[in-house]
Amino acid sequence: MATLATTTPASTQRDMAERATRTITPRVDIYENDKAYVLLADMPGVGSDGLDVVAEGDELVIRGRVNHSTTPPDYQEFELADYYRSFTLTEDLDTAGIAARLRDGVLRVEIPKSPRIQPKKIPVHAE
Amino acid sequence: MDPRSMSNPWQEIRRLQREMEHFLGDFTPGWRWPLTGEYPPVNVTRDDKGITLEALCPGVDRQSFEITVVGDTATVRGERKAEPAVAEERYHRRERQLGAFTRSVCVDEGLDPDQTQATYTNGILRVWLARAPEAMPKKITIQS
Repeated sequence: MATLATTTPASTQRDMAERATRTITPRVDIYENDKAYVLLADMPGVGSDGLDVVAEGDELVIRGRVNHSTTPPDYQEFELADYYRSFTLTEDLDTAGIAARLRDGVLRVEIPKSPRIQPKKIPVHAE
Repeated sequence: MDPRSMSNPWQEIRRLQREMEHFLGDFTPGWRWPLTGEYPPVNVTRDDKGITLEALCPGVDRQSFEITVVGDTATVRGERKAEPAVAEERYHRRERQLGAFTRSVCVDEGLDPDQTQATYTNGILRVWLARAPEAMPKKITIQS
């Protein structure tokens, strides 16, 4: 079965370097339909020029850079920081066909399932 | 205890939370949700001209935004909808909060509702609030 797991031990070392500067792990929803896995990630403050979505080997990495405000607010409940999160892709996924879109601070990544695991409708011929 | 923390215990708790996260690393997904449980989290900045309210609320349906200003309080309403036509059992992970929200912020200064302006960029709602004329600082001339 195809899965999209979060974080992988193989990337731990790179993770450590990434996290030398403080990052936020974006909250995600992951669902699947017949053709693809869809990942939605909340990354408020990130514009399309600050976004990186990289699929390399069995790893999908999402990174977002935000413009830090220079003046501290008078009252503060949130603080913007860069985003980082990685996912493990199984071989049942078609990494070449990954498509990403950013809208209103939500990243939407669609990862197609490889055609051999997509459900196939078998036509039944009546006799 | 720092006397400032007495004036706003929530802010103090958030500061401690930030320090804890700094030591423990970022193992919790998401940004720092306000401990008051209110959504969306807001920042308030004041300057000579007015007050800017920033709300962190990605993925809100633009049509659902409703901003009202009464007296010294600004209220923001909106709704974040789920992806259409996805059955619950098709989800592998659900961390994002969805649904309708209302957040009121009292700025302790009289506001002029007619001058309110708002933008929504990259999931951050910025509401610019103008002070009511009677709340504007006045220059007093000293008479000889």
